[in-house]
Amino acid sequence: MEEMIIAILRSATPLIYVTLAGVIAQRAGIWHLGLEGLMIVGACGTILGIVLTGSVLYALLLACLFCILGSIIFWFVVEKLKANQIIAGLGLTGLGLGGTTLAVEAIFGTPAAVNAKFGLPKIGEVFGNIFGAFSGLSILVLLMPFVVFGMWVLICRTRLGLQITASGEHPFAARSVGVNPSRMRFIALMIGGVLCALGGAELAAGSLQIFAQNMTAGRGFMSFAAVVFGASHPIGAMLAASFFAIVGALGIRAQLLFGEDVPHDLLLGLPYIATIFGIWFSAKMRGGAKAVTGFGELRDQ
Amino acid sequence: MTNEIKNIGKSVSRRQVLKTSAGLGALGFALSMGITPALAADDLVALVHTQAAGDNGPVDSMIAELKKLAAEKGFTARTIYAKDPATYETIFRTLGEAGATVVVSTFNEVAEPFKAVAPTFPNTKWIQLFGDAFEPPIANVISVSYDYYLGCYLSGIFAAHVSSTGKLGFIGGISIPSINADYNAFKAGAMSVNKDIKVSVAFAGSFQDPAKGLEVASQMYADGIDYIQTDSGATDGGIISAANEKMGRMVSSLDPAQFELGPKSIIAIVGLDFGSSLANEAAAALEADWVGGKHRSTGLGTGVIDFILSPLFKEQGDADINAKSAKAWAEIEKVRAAILDGSLNVPFSTEL
Repeated sequence: MEEMIIAILRSATPLIYVTLAGVIAQRAGIWHLGLEGLMIVGACGTILGIVLTGSVLYALLLACLFCILGSIIFWFVVEKLKANQIIAGLGLTGLGLGGTTLAVEAIFGTPAAVNAKFGLPKIGEVFGNIFGAFSGLSILVLLMPFVVFGMWVLICRTRLGLQITASGEHPFAARSVGVNPSRMRFIALMIGGVLCALGGAELAAGSLQIFAQNMTAGRGFMSFAAVVFGASHPIGAMLAASFFAIVGALGIRAQLLFGEDVPHDLLLGLPYIATIFGIWFSAKMRGGAKAVTGFGELRDQ
Repeated sequence: MTNEIKNIGKSVSRRQVLKTSAGLGALGFALSMGITPALAADDLVALVHTQAAGDNGPVDSMIAELKKLAAEKGFTARTIYAKDPATYETIFRTLGEAGATVVVSTFNEVAEPFKAVAPTFPNTKWIQLFGDAFEPPIANVISVSYDYYLGCYLSGIFAAHVSSTGKLGFIGGISIPSINADYNAFKAGAMSVNKDIKVSVAFAGSFQDPAKGLEVASQMYADGIDYIQTDSGATDGGIISAANEKMGRMVSSLDPAQFELGPKSIIAIVGLDFGSSLANEAAAALEADWVGGKHRSTGLGTGVIDFILSPLFKEQGDADINAKSAKAWAEIEKVRAAILDGSLNVPFSTEL
């Protein structure tokens, strides 16, 4: 059971960080389909940072810097050039996937996987063995519940969070009380960029120490689905992302238990079936329906 | 008046943009017409790989060997990642039109595009690695198949000898016929030693997802499996990471470059030297006496596929496991010889 919880925490943590980035963007009125691209930029930036600087701190800063840069481009294209958010988001994803491959090839002369000598610090290395079997997880796993709580406080209990939400839900009303929705979206995307960097860092350097092309394997899109499933609420989205991780872990367990009787492809598809179910379910929830139908009034031009 | 000027300015500007775009398009077309014969004048060898690079294995080794060969022989090398099967034919046709001397691609999925394109470009030599024979043969195409499953059979025998728990695992990238055959051979090898041995199989769903590899392998090891055979490209990286987490976890992977990623966990590899194979085939295709329309089958005994123990594990691995490994090796040698002389026939089964 302990091993199962560890496996779920490992796979859920990167998803949760990226989901939170999607939540704050969604609150600000941005449908962030660039999460996949920013996540892989975060993963690539972390591993390249570790390899090139030999420091986890610099690596994380580098990853955050690249993701913030990607977020600025996204904000500029969406807000200033008035591009369609969906198309721009997908473009950002393409840029991230292609750009990281190009970066690796440019630096190392080959698109081969990059292996770092060490990854993020483990809980055990920082706090000793007080967490038992969980000591082998990275500190970003331990930090995750606090980040979720912090995001809830920011969005639901601070002036800035409420201004961000108002900019997404009722931009005209926000503008009428002196809030600049464009500026709020900029701030939301910057925070999202940092969260994507942390998600990518956890994916590539939490338990692994590898960067491989396309290694996000659709996790950014699953995070986006978790945003919708979780009704754009930090706690709800975290639960949704955890649900996907649990289903993924159960899919692996099902392969090991029933692989000889049930086609593997069907069992592998469980997380995606769960995603579809989640989106359908979210439409039944008040927030989810609100998030979906509110799209038309997100623009303030 | 000011508005009119602005409007005129806008319309002129748009027209200018359109004119410039059209001009650039025409210039690009003209240049491309000029470039095509230029490319044709030089030998161009293109590798179209259908799995992404970055696998620390076959694709990386093919790219590296192609670049090395290009430097030695002085031809132009191009590597193209063809992710989408719908684009294969277009890519091959473009290379044919560009006058490529040799086009190398991988796996059976390129067979139909080869059939469609190769006859149209008889001056280009087409090589399909890891493919079945073409029926009927095409004059300018060579296909090469590898009996990788035979290496997996040896790995199964070895695993049954070195495992303490009697539980073995196999992780594939995607369930496709060739990977299924590798699993079946691995299982058959293990069961030839111990009929009661338990062999589990799981697929990561991708050849590019080390994080999923880590999840699958962690669950297998948690179930008491102590030896995993990988067959999953870049996903292997995660499996090796899971094996590195605790002593006593063993993994057999694919490429000698992986040895240093797990000196205490990677006990062996079922090595498939795609890179050397590509270099041999490409070098031969550049010779004047190259003859197409053939199928080459390679496997054990050709140097392309073999079951190889990790020298690093011998130095740094668990002493008890190394002792078991040394004992098992005599049988591996015996079985390998039996396969090569034809006295042992390993079944090739693609059904799970």
